[in-house]
Amino acid sequence: MQQEAAIREPLILGNKSYKDITNDVVGPIQGEAPLGWKIMITITGIIAFYGIGCILYLIGTGIGVWGLNKTVGWAWDITNFVWWVGIGHAGTLISAVLLLFRQKWRMAINRSAEAMTIFAVIMAAVFPGIHMGRIWVSYWVLPLPNQFGSLWVNFNSPLLWDVFAISTYFSVSLVFWYIGLIPDFATIRDRMTKPLQKKVYSILSFGWSGRAKHWTRFEEVSLVLAGIATPLVFSVHSIVSMDFATSVIPGWHTTIFPPYFVSGAVFSGFAMVQTLLLIMRKTMKLEAYIHTKHVEYMNIVIIVTGSIVGVAYLTELFISWYSGVEYESYAFINRFSGPYSASYWAMMTCNVISPQLFWIKKIRRSLIATFILSIVVNIGMWFERYVIIVTSLHRDFDPSSWGEFHATSIDVGIFIGTLGIFFTLFLLFARFFPVLALNELKSILKSSGDEHKRLQSEGKSNH
Amino acid sequence: MADNKIYWSGLEELDRTPEFERIESEEFPAERPVDQFLSDDRLQRANTGRRDFLKFMGFSVTAATLAACETPVVKSIPYTNKPEEITPGVANYYASTYYDGHDFVNVLVKTREGRPIFVKSNTETGYGRANARVNASVLGLYDSARLKAPQLNGEATDWATLDGAVQKGLSGAGRKVLLTGTVMSPSRQRAIAELAEATGVEHVQCDAVSYGAVVAAAEQDFGRRVFPSYQFANAKTVVSLNADFLGTWGDTVWYTGEWAKTRRPENGEMSRLHAFESGMSLTGSNADSRTRVKPSQQGNVAAALLNEINGQGHAAGLDEAVLAAVQSAASDLKAAGANGLVVSGDNDLATQCIVNAINQAIGAVGTTVEINEKASLHQGDDAAYAQLVKDMQAGRVSALLVDGINPAYHGADSEGFKAGLEKVAFSVSTALCADETASRCTAIAPNHHWLEGWNDLQIDPNRIDLAQPTIQPLYDTRHATQSLLAWAGQSVDAYTYIRQTHNTAYTAEAMYTDQDWNTGVHNGFLAVAAPEKEAPTYSGSALSSALAEVKSRKGGGFELALYRKTAMGDGQQAANPMLQETPDPITKTTWDNYVTMARPDMEAMGLNTYIAQEDPASMVRVTVGDRSIELPAFPQPGQTPGTVSIALGYGRGADGEAIGRAAFQVGEDGEHLTDADGGLVPIGANAFPLATLRNGAPDYNAYDVTVEATGTSYPLACTQIQHTYMGRDSVVKETTLGGYLAEADAERGKASWNKTIGLNVHDDINGDGEINALDKKAAGEFDLWHEHAVDGVGHRWGMAIDLTSCIGCSACVTACHIENNVPVVGKDEVRRHRDMHWMRIDRFYASDWDKERGVEEGLGVISTYGKMEEPGANPQTVHMPMMCQHCNHAPCETVCPVAATTHSNEGVNQMTYNRCIGTRYCANNCPFKVRRFNWFHYPGYDKFQHFNPAQDAIQRMVLNPDVVVRSRGVMEKCSLCVQRTQSAKLEAKKAGAPLEDGSVQTACSEACPTNAITFGDLNDTNSEVSATYDNNRTYHALEEVGIQPNVAYLTKVRNTPNS
Repeated sequence: MQQEAAIREPLILGNKSYKDITNDVVGPIQGEAPLGWKIMITITGIIAFYGIGCILYLIGTGIGVWGLNKTVGWAWDITNFVWWVGIGHAGTLISAVLLLFRQKWRMAINRSAEAMTIFAVIMAAVFPGIHMGRIWVSYWVLPLPNQFGSLWVNFNSPLLWDVFAISTYFSVSLVFWYIGLIPDFATIRDRMTKPLQKKVYSILSFGWSGRAKHWTRFEEVSLVLAGIATPLVFSVHSIVSMDFATSVIPGWHTTIFPPYFVSGAVFSGFAMVQTLLLIMRKTMKLEAYIHTKHVEYMNIVIIVTGSIVGVAYLTELFISWYSGVEYESYAFINRFSGPYSASYWAMMTCNVISPQLFWIKKIRRSLIATFILSIVVNIGMWFERYVIIVTSLHRDFDPSSWGEFHATSIDVGIFIGTLGIFFTLFLLFARFFPVLALNELKSILKSSGDEHKRLQSEGKSNH
Repeated sequence: MADNKIYWSGLEELDRTPEFERIESEEFPAERPVDQFLSDDRLQRANTGRRDFLKFMGFSVTAATLAACETPVVKSIPYTNKPEEITPGVANYYASTYYDGHDFVNVLVKTREGRPIFVKSNTETGYGRANARVNASVLGLYDSARLKAPQLNGEATDWATLDGAVQKGLSGAGRKVLLTGTVMSPSRQRAIAELAEATGVEHVQCDAVSYGAVVAAAEQDFGRRVFPSYQFANAKTVVSLNADFLGTWGDTVWYTGEWAKTRRPENGEMSRLHAFESGMSLTGSNADSRTRVKPSQQGNVAAALLNEINGQGHAAGLDEAVLAAVQSAASDLKAAGANGLVVSGDNDLATQCIVNAINQAIGAVGTTVEINEKASLHQGDDAAYAQLVKDMQAGRVSALLVDGINPAYHGADSEGFKAGLEKVAFSVSTALCADETASRCTAIAPNHHWLEGWNDLQIDPNRIDLAQPTIQPLYDTRHATQSLLAWAGQSVDAYTYIRQTHNTAYTAEAMYTDQDWNTGVHNGFLAVAAPEKEAPTYSGSALSSALAEVKSRKGGGFELALYRKTAMGDGQQAANPMLQETPDPITKTTWDNYVTMARPDMEAMGLNTYIAQEDPASMVRVTVGDRSIELPAFPQPGQTPGTVSIALGYGRGADGEAIGRAAFQVGEDGEHLTDADGGLVPIGANAFPLATLRNGAPDYNAYDVTVEATGTSYPLACTQIQHTYMGRDSVVKETTLGGYLAEADAERGKASWNKTIGLNVHDDINGDGEINALDKKAAGEFDLWHEHAVDGVGHRWGMAIDLTSCIGCSACVTACHIENNVPVVGKDEVRRHRDMHWMRIDRFYASDWDKERGVEEGLGVISTYGKMEEPGANPQTVHMPMMCQHCNHAPCETVCPVAATTHSNEGVNQMTYNRCIGTRYCANNCPFKVRRFNWFHYPGYDKFQHFNPAQDAIQRMVLNPDVVVRSRGVMEKCSLCVQRTQSAKLEAKKAGAPLEDGSVQTACSEACPTNAITFGDLNDTNSEVSATYDNNRTYHALEEVGIQPNVAYLTKVRNTPNS
C-alpha cells in the first residue's frame, strides 16, 4: 500500500468505509429518480428537441437558414465545433495524463469528466456534419473504395485530418471510458435485485468477476490506453487548429495555433468539468469525494492554461505587428477595434483576466466563485473561436468583399440545442452510470482518506 | 414432289421417339393439375417457415420499393425531319438588331435547339456594343407576363375581331393619333404613312426619356432636327456636363467602344475627360477630373467654358473651385481644338445652345460632332405630345394608337395622360404585356418580341440594319407593322412588306433567291447608298438669350437631378430579374432606386449613413412643387452637397399592372408583398413625375426641392459595403499618364507604378555582404507547392483585364449571368451578402486619407484606418472586374476534403459540382472571395418563386443547356467559360488545325464594350493575352500571397490634369 504524507489534504472526507463508497455511488442508481432530476431532464430534453428541430429545418431547407454569406462561410457552426471539441479535452487529460502522472485526485472526477468528453465530442461531431451543404454525401470524406471513378479524398485538406483526428479521438475515449466502467458496472450488477436491471448491468459488465487476473489486465489496459490517449489530447486540437493555421487568411495563418488551441481546450474543458461537478456533487451528495481540494487542483490547471492562452493572445498581437504584413496587422487591429471588437474584449476579459483571480486562495477554494468563473471561462472560450473565425473572415484581403455576419435564430437554436442534448446525455449518465470510479476510489481510501490521515497523525494505522 | 415433303422441327419428331410422342400428346392438356398439386401432402408438409416467409416478404417489399424509386422518365421527341441547320447540341448564331427606343445595336443571337438564349454584340460588321440591358433582354422573350393573345376590353379575342374594333375606332370624328417612340424602321415609317393616308391618323413621336432639347438646339443652331452623332474616337478632350455618355445618355452603345479607343496609354497619349455633375454617374466615375456642381449651375458652367474659350459667355454663379476646373477644362479644350468635345446631358435648350456654341467655337463640329451623319435617334416631339395630352383631356381625341412606348408610366405628366386616356373613345396599344398604358387601353394588339420578328432599322445612312426572327412567335402575337397595315386595310405580312420596302419588285418567288438580301440577313445589314453630306451652318442666334437664361437661374435649398441607372435604363425591363439584380456600377445597390445624397447633408438631417445588412437606409420625402415621392436615402461620395439624385425607371406597375412577376417586391419567404389595398408593391418609386417642363421639354433637373426625413427606414441590398481599398496597392494599382510615360519603357515589375512585391528572406540576396531588410526575393519566386505542368504543354487559359479601359458598365456581369445560368437570388439574399454573381465589378473610391497622412497628422493607427474606410468627398474611382483568378497555386484546391475543386491541365481551377459536399472551406480560403455557395435550392425553393428564371416554366427555356443548373449545397464560381473552351477545342480538332487565337472568348471578354478583358491561351506565344502578359502594366492581384493567378490586371492609368 502506497503511503502518503500526512500533511497532504485528504482526498476522501469523512470516515468512509468501502461499503459507504459503494452505497454513495450505487445508491442513487438503485433508488427512484429524484424530482429535481426529472425536472432537469424535462427542461434539457425540450431544449434538445428544439435543437433537433432546428437541425432538421436546416437540413431540409439549406445552409441559408444560418446567417452565413459569401464572405463569412463559417461562423457559429465551426465556432461551436471547436468549442465542443475543446471541452472534450479535459476528460482525456484527466483520465490519461493524470493517470500516467499518478495523480490520485483524478479518481473522483475522471469518470464524469470522461463522460463529458464523450458527449462533448458527439456534440462537436454534429457540426462538421450539419455544416455541409450536402450532408447526405458526407461519407465522401471517408477514404472508402468507391465506384465514382477514381475519386479519393484529398489528403492535403486539414478537414480530412479532422475527420481522422476526431474519429480516432472519439473511439479511443469511448473505449477508455468503457474499460474503466466495467468493474463498476459489475459492482452495480451485484447489488441489483430487479432481474431486468441485473441483466442489463451484467451485460454491460462483460462478465467481470473481480479476479486478480481481471484486475491485472484492467490495470494494464488502462495504462496502454492512457498511453494512446495522451498524444491524442495534444493531436486532436492541434489538428483542429490546422483548419485555420494552414489557410492563407490573415488571422488564421498562424503557426502558434496548435499549442494555443490545445491549452485553450484544456482550459475550457476544466472549466466545464467544474461547472458540471459542482452541481453534481451537491445534488448527488458526493461532497466527501469531490471537495475543495479537487476544485483547487483544477483551478490551478485553469490558471496555468489560462495564462498560456493569454500569452498566446499577446504573442499573436506582437507577431501581427512584427511581421510587417499589412493584412496580418490589419486583421488584428480590426479584431480589437473593428465591428466585432466587443467579442474580442469579451474573450480577453473572460479568458485572460478572469482566471487570474484564482491566484487568490480564497477565490480558488470558493466553490461559488469557481462555479461562476467556470461559466465565464467557457463563455470566453466560445468567443475566442468566434473571434478567430468571424473577425478574420469578415475583413480579409480584398476590401471589396468585406462583409458582416449576423446570426439567425437557427444559428442560436442549434447551439442551444446541442447544449440541451449534452446536458440530457449527462443527466442520463448521472442517473444510470456510476458517476465516480468507485472501485478506483476504494484503492486510495486507505492512503488518502480522512480517517486514515487522522489515524496516521495519531501514529496509528487502520490497515 | 410437293406432296412428298415432310416438315419436321427436330430429329425427335422425324424419329418419332416415345418421349416425343408423349410430349406431343400432352401438348394441349385438358386441365392443369392444380388440385392435384395443392392436395399433394408433401406440399402441405413442406417447411415454409417463418424465416422463409420473412425472406419472401422482405424481398417483395424491397423489390416494390426499388421499383418505386425509379428515376422519372423524361420523354424527348426526336426530330422526324431534322432541320438542316439545327443539330442538337450545336448553337446557331443569327445576326440581328436590337432597338428599344433608346439603345440601337447590332447583335448576334445565339440559339440552341431553336431557342434564343444569348445575345452578344456583332463585333465583325455591327454597329455599337451591347450593354447590360441588351444582353439581358433575351430574358424578356420568355416573360410569363407577355400577352398570349390580342385583347379587347380586357378579354382575349382573335385578330379579326380586334382589327374590326380598331377600324371602327378609327372611323370616329376627332383627332386620331398614333403615338410611338422614335421610329427607326423605314418599313414602319412607310406603314405609318399608309395608315395616315387610309385613316387620317396623325403620327406623334415621344421618347421615354426625352432628348427634345438636344434635338431642338441642333435645329435652332444648325437648322437640322437631329440628335448629333458624337465621334468620341476623334476626341482628345471630352467635357461632360452631366452627360452620362458611358452609361445611359445618348447612343451609349456606340460611344463606349469609341471613347475607349482613345484611352490606351500604350499609344503615348490618352484623351482626357472632364466631368461636371451633381450626382456620381458612371461617366463621372471614369472622369480624369470630376467637379461637383449643382444642376442650376450646369448652364453657368457651360457659359463659363464658352467664356474661357472665346469670351462670349460669362463667369457668373460659380464658386472658385468650379471656375478653376472650368479653366482647366477650357485650356484642354483649346489645346484639343477640333478634337475637343463638349456634351451636356441636361434636357435644357439654353444649356444645349451654349454647348453648341462651344463645340462650334473650338471647331469640333465636323470632327467630333456630326450633325447629319446618322439617321437620328431621339426624334420625340415634346410639344406635340403635350398638345396631344391636352387634347385627350379635352376629349378632342377619338382614337389613340400607342406603339413601343408607355407614357402612362414615363410621361412627365403621366397622371394627366391617364386622365386623358379615359376620355379617348378608342385606344389600342401594341405592348407585349398589359403595362401601365396598355392596361388602360380599349384593346391590346401585342407585338412580337424583338427576337420573334423581322425588322429593318436604320441609324447609319450607309446601311439598313436587319433584325430577323430567331424563334417562332411563342404566342398569338402580331408584328406591329403588320397591325398598322391591317388597320390601314392592307393584308400583307410584315416580312413581305419589309422586303418590298427595300425592293419594290419583290415577290414571294424571290424569297430565297435574292443574294443581296441573303448576304444582308447573314451580316445583319444591307448596304445602301448614303445621300451626300452637307456641312451644317451655325447660326448661334439664340446664344445671348440662352446665356441670359442660365445666368438668371437660382437654386433652392436642395436641387434634384434625375438620372438613369446603367442596368435599368428607362425602366422598360423592370420585370427582368437579372437587370434588377445587377448591382448599380456606382452604388453597388440592387433591386431599388433611392435618393443619393452627400454625407454632410445626411448627417445634418440625422439620416443613417451606414447601410448594410442590418442597417437599413432612412426614408426621405423629396418634394418638387406639388409632387413628392418617398425613397430611402443613400450616402453617395461625390454627390454635390445640396443636391439629391434619383434614378428613373423604377416604380413600374404601381397600380399592380401585370408587367411581370419579378417587377414587384417580395417578402422574406418569397411571397409578393401587398399594400393596404391588397395590391402588389412595386420596386422603388417612379421619379418621372418629378421632371420639370422647361421650354416645353421635360428637364430631368429641378432647382428647388425639399427633402425631409420621414422617420422610417427601409433596407437596401448592396453587394459592396466597404468602399475604399484601404491603401492595399497589391489589389489595385494606379498611376497617372505622366507617371506612366516617365517609365513607359520600364520592364514589367520595375516601374514605380507596378513594382514586383518582394518578401524578406534570410539570405544575402542583394549581395551587399549583409543580411538585412533590404534582402528581398520576388513574391513569385516563393513556392510551397509543385509546379503544375501547364507551361508550354497544351493550352493554358489566361485572362488580362485592363483597369484603364474598364468603365464598370457591367455588361460583362449580365453576360456571365446569362451564359452560366447564375441564379437570381432576390433582394433579401443580396442584402445578406449572398449574391451569386460569378463576375462582379469592385468599385473602389479613393479616400482622402492614407497612412502617411495619419502619421503626419499624429493620428493613431486605429483612427487612421477608420478614416481610410471613408471615401473622399469627391473621390477618384476604380472599377475592378473580379472573378475567380484561377490561381495556379489555389488556396481553395488544397483545403477541399473531397477534391471537388481541382486544377485542370489547362491552368483552370475547376469546380466539380457533383463531388462537392459543401464545407465552404474553399470559399473561406479564397483571398478574393469569388466563390459562391448555393445556400438554398434556388431552382425550387419558394423564396425565389417570383424571380428566379429557373422556377418559371417558360423562362427556364433561357437557361444555357451547356451549363448545369447547380443544386443546393454546392459551391460554384467562374469556370472561365469552360463550356466554350471545350467546344472551341472540339471545333479545332474537327478542323484538324490548331486552335486559333480569338476563336474562343469568355462571356465577359466578349461582352466588354471597351475591350478591357482579353482572354486566350497563354501557351500560344502569339496570342493577344500572351502579349498583354508582357505589358509592363500587368500585375497579379495579391501577388504576395503566392497564389500565382492566371488572371492578370493592368495598372490603371488616369489622365489627370497637371500630372
